[in-house]
Amino acid sequence: MSLALILNLAWHVGTLALVALGLAIIFGKLRIMNMAHGEFVMIGAYSPVITSSMGLPAWLQLPVCLLTVGLVALVVERAVVCRLYGRMFDSLLATWGISILLREAIELIFGRGYQSVSLPIPGTIQILGSGYPAYRIAIIACIALGFALLAWWNSRSMVATRIKAMVENPGLAQAVGIDTGRLSRWAFVFGCCTAGLAGLALAPTIRIEPMMGLDYLIKSFFALVVGGLGSLEGLGLGAGIIAGTQSLIGAAFNQTYGYLAVLSLSILFLWLKPDGIHSASR
Amino acid sequence: MASILLRASLLLAVLLPIPVLFGEFTAYQIGLYLIYGIAAQGIGFLWGKTGVLPLGQAIFFGISAYAGAMSLRFADGLALQLAAAAAIILLLSSAAFVVAFLIFRGRSESGPFFSLITLALAMIAEQTAGTATEFTGGFNGFSGFASIGGLDPFGNLYYVIAAAAVGMSLLLFAINRSPANLIVRAVADNEPRLQLLGYPTHAVKSLAFAFSAASAALAGILFASHQGIVTPTSTGFALSAELVILTAIGGRFHVLGPLIGAVVVGWASAELRFNFPYWELIMAAAFIIVVLRAPGGIAELLDNSFMRFAPNSPRDESARKDAPMPQGRRVAGSLEFDNVHLQAGVVRILNGISFKTPDTGIISVIGPNGAGKTSALNAITGHLRLTSGRIRFVGDRIDSLPPWQALNCGIGRKLQVPSVFKSMSVMENIAVSMLAGRASWTDYFRTRAFAWRSEELSRVLNRRGVPLKNSMEKQVGTLPQGHRQFLEFAMAIASGPSLLLLDEPCAGLSPEETALMSSLIREFQENSGGLVIVIEHDMSIVEATSDKVLVLHQGEVLAFDSYEAVRNDPNVMAVYAGSTK
Amino acid sequence: MTLNFAKLFACAALPLALASAPAAADIKIGVLVPDSGPGGLFGPSTRNSAMLAAERINRGGGINGEQIELVFADVGVPPAEAAQAALRLWKGEGVDAFVGMHDSAVREALLGRFSGQVPYVYTPVYEGNSCAPGLYITGETPSQQLAPVIPFVMEKESVSKWYLIGHDYNWPRDTNALAKQYIAGAGGEVVGEEYVPFTVAEFDSSLQRIRESGADAVLITLVGGGSVGFNVSFASFGMDRQAIRLGTLIEENTLAGIGSENANRLYSSAGYFASIQTEAAAAFAADYSAAFGSDAPALNGLGQSAYEGLMLLAALANKAGSLDVQALDEAAEGTAWSTPRGDNVLRGRHMAQTIYLADGTGGAFTIVEAFESVPSSEACPS
Repeated sequence: MSLALILNLAWHVGTLALVALGLAIIFGKLRIMNMAHGEFVMIGAYSPVITSSMGLPAWLQLPVCLLTVGLVALVVERAVVCRLYGRMFDSLLATWGISILLREAIELIFGRGYQSVSLPIPGTIQILGSGYPAYRIAIIACIALGFALLAWWNSRSMVATRIKAMVENPGLAQAVGIDTGRLSRWAFVFGCCTAGLAGLALAPTIRIEPMMGLDYLIKSFFALVVGGLGSLEGLGLGAGIIAGTQSLIGAAFNQTYGYLAVLSLSILFLWLKPDGIHSASR
Repeated sequence: MASILLRASLLLAVLLPIPVLFGEFTAYQIGLYLIYGIAAQGIGFLWGKTGVLPLGQAIFFGISAYAGAMSLRFADGLALQLAAAAAIILLLSSAAFVVAFLIFRGRSESGPFFSLITLALAMIAEQTAGTATEFTGGFNGFSGFASIGGLDPFGNLYYVIAAAAVGMSLLLFAINRSPANLIVRAVADNEPRLQLLGYPTHAVKSLAFAFSAASAALAGILFASHQGIVTPTSTGFALSAELVILTAIGGRFHVLGPLIGAVVVGWASAELRFNFPYWELIMAAAFIIVVLRAPGGIAELLDNSFMRFAPNSPRDESARKDAPMPQGRRVAGSLEFDNVHLQAGVVRILNGISFKTPDTGIISVIGPNGAGKTSALNAITGHLRLTSGRIRFVGDRIDSLPPWQALNCGIGRKLQVPSVFKSMSVMENIAVSMLAGRASWTDYFRTRAFAWRSEELSRVLNRRGVPLKNSMEKQVGTLPQGHRQFLEFAMAIASGPSLLLLDEPCAGLSPEETALMSSLIREFQENSGGLVIVIEHDMSIVEATSDKVLVLHQGEVLAFDSYEAVRNDPNVMAVYAGSTK
Repeated sequence: MTLNFAKLFACAALPLALASAPAAADIKIGVLVPDSGPGGLFGPSTRNSAMLAAERINRGGGINGEQIELVFADVGVPPAEAAQAALRLWKGEGVDAFVGMHDSAVREALLGRFSGQVPYVYTPVYEGNSCAPGLYITGETPSQQLAPVIPFVMEKESVSKWYLIGHDYNWPRDTNALAKQYIAGAGGEVVGEEYVPFTVAEFDSSLQRIRESGADAVLITLVGGGSVGFNVSFASFGMDRQAIRLGTLIEENTLAGIGSENANRLYSSAGYFASIQTEAAAAFAADYSAAFGSDAPALNGLGQSAYEGLMLLAALANKAGSLDVQALDEAAEGTAWSTPRGDNVLRGRHMAQTIYLADGTGGAFTIVEAFESVPSSEACPS
């Protein structure tokens, strides 16, 4: 296995895990099948475009991204999603509608056309004779660091426990003083913000247009259900399997086989292990 | 029957004059919407009743359309084409049955995993159709064939489509009237309870899925003739999602809902697309509003306003028929645990339980919380797999059988928290339990089975004080807890089990109701001559009803003897020390 | 923030424009444009180009002396729905002819429903070999885009090892089948060939293969977003130093998405670019921005093809003296007319036209070479 292949693998697994993280929270914890997840990635990817069109300096891209995505997520939660807790299939339908609304809104503002975002860290780094984009290496490192921090926080914070308590028994959680409405709201917004961050990180390496969200949605769902809902380990495993299969089969044979292999593998896992490889304590 | 025909003729009366009244192009348009509507009706049946949401119905639609198109290109003569169409529909629905059977086997829920599997299958189908250019024409589609029987797509083909839509609606209306409808609805309502009533729910769901696949395949065949071209989009994710949306907007709980949804959405989006470039915006907003405000869709709204003028009249209660005898074995005999171990992860639940009951009588199981009482019952009905050991009933091993086989072995069970079909009426709950183990294939499609009563059941229902007789039409979800306890008890004994398992039957009952329940249990045992096992905390009930008492503690048998002997057992007294009882 | 209400205004302006058309308009032409779906990007420029053509035709006396009126329909939807939209114009609005800018699946669906009863001009780049009564084609076919261009590029850039990459469907496969002949004919070799599903948005393993193949030229038949994604990754890996790129569907919007720093040594071959400097093309571009404003949707080969389609229809109908399919079919062969693309002749229902090779380096196309009167080898037997 060549070094480039390993780096590609790290890039795909890392970015998929980052994209799927928000969905893991929203689907895994809140039981909302958020079909608009890809659209939050899309809005995140548009945030450099938003920043420059407002005439702001580039270093404000991150706050602009979090602010925009967070605001949109808050509105979506207050207007629609907050009525759908406990109605999983209804949440799927309603958020499907939301995804179309968000796409059309972005199209109305920025047009249908492709946007381009230039690399903040241009150039390649020479590793063992072949060049690898410096920006990607930086992002891989950031994602690894971010997930390590998240795992550390997750192991000590009470928030995850509270969310779990809330989902399993909303009445009891309320009785012991958990403000379930507020907790769900901020969990949803947080999940969407991580999707936005993923979009921002990916922006200089992909195409940017209103329809791009769907690419990320389905893959994230498969990564989640394959890995198992409710744990960071499961998320990592799922992202590894889905992105790894596409990369390896894609490299060894061709991309069509890689795509079909991902789908077949997902079916196999869903069939034989519907709770995922690493399901959280149930 | 008359009202079914009336509704179908009404639909026919609406559809038939369309070409004459609005011209051939409108008929052509409506024809396409009806084709989608037929596929959506299958989704409505599956999703609305069993709660299984298929996200890849276009697999059947598209494969059928391709296969139909190929048969139209190569098969001459109407008879041959019709035979090919029938074969395609049959093959696809059989394939759907097998796939669903494999997936659902051994599970008692239909979570998102099934939806995602169908979604992935649709994506595979679309990719394959796009890549296999030699067979399918690839992205550009498969074309160059005439429509079925050489009918004009702008002319007579419309009547074939309308006939198919009416036929499908007729079939669904008929199913709605039949006992089979109760069974499929019961799946979505309370799958574990249905399994305990002896239904292999995985097979029920697979049959429903096969039916929905058949409707999608029928629609696909018609689509090929109507369009004269089949492209990979016909078998992909987008169409699958679209069909689900049509079903949701139209109303998945009603026969005509999906048809209405398909026509309304199809027509509205065609109009909007023509007049307003941001038509998707309006469609999406409308869709969100329907999901939030009217989850039952357009059909539910129509139905509610219709009901105001013509409320349902209650069914006749007097005409009751004796039910046929239940199939399967009803022999009294002893229950035997032989060194049963049960472990979940690192938690040991049962630690080598061994006992053998007498052939008949009432056994009470007592023990502190966590003693393994309910787990022992779960092991009997196959809800928990043993780590080691054997469970025998009347001498035969029953520990490796799935829950739905329990009833066939003569085991009836009432769960700890009353487990009934909340969305159905008391009468419907009772009907489901009466069908259990008794109905033959044809009985599921005859309304007379609704009127079945067994001796055991009638005795409970007619007993003074049992609060069910006067609330037969009420939805069970609205009943108080105590009433549900009696209902579940009635359902558990309906099949005349020779081993009845009752988990805290008196929980939540008033003293009078408790006395009534105790005497019902006693009576049932005396009449059936079988074995009854009761988990009970209230020692006065235990004393009054039990022939023997089994004491469990930390997953082990502490004592198994008469009430008097157990009460004086020093080991039992040690465990219950400090307890006032 | 520049709110893009251009499309909204265009929609609002459309009924006005139609209403202000001369009352004598008695030929209705259905223009099929993608407003939704992946091709929706080209909807506005296609509409604008068509309106410009209608205005030009009417100013020049119309078709056979009769004024024309355009009716638009959205065909950026699956073939069944697109066919309905077209039939609505035909059977409902009574249009006399169609000009369509959409994908091949929709074209096949329409041909089945039109059955040669109504004239139909198909305008975008496509794989060729589509022949039916009443069907006329202005779009570039692979032979036109590649036959003169591949030898020219190989000589100019001194490249010989080609890697072919495209989306997994008919057009890229047909294009590459021809490309292999031209490459062999010019003394080059094909070192790799690969097709990617529409649903795959990452190209890392493809890039790795291209690097290892030692290719010094890549022929890109990816479409739309896939093309943007591929080219962005290609440049970020520094592969633009290893190989030149030649695309047959890289137009102005795609290039904008790829971005100026990623477009080094990226060539595109097409019948139209907004930056063509001929007098006719410059006049057309000036008219376009005069009519629709300076921030109107960018001109591009696909959108502009609707103009070509209407002009072909007008030239052909004027030559035949009617819009009857049989009369048109009889008159079709050899019809000659001029447009912003150059001088065109209809040969085998396909348009022999000038093909331009443009270099996208720096994020804007500069015309490198023009090849005049290139015929299509995928035209119909006459």
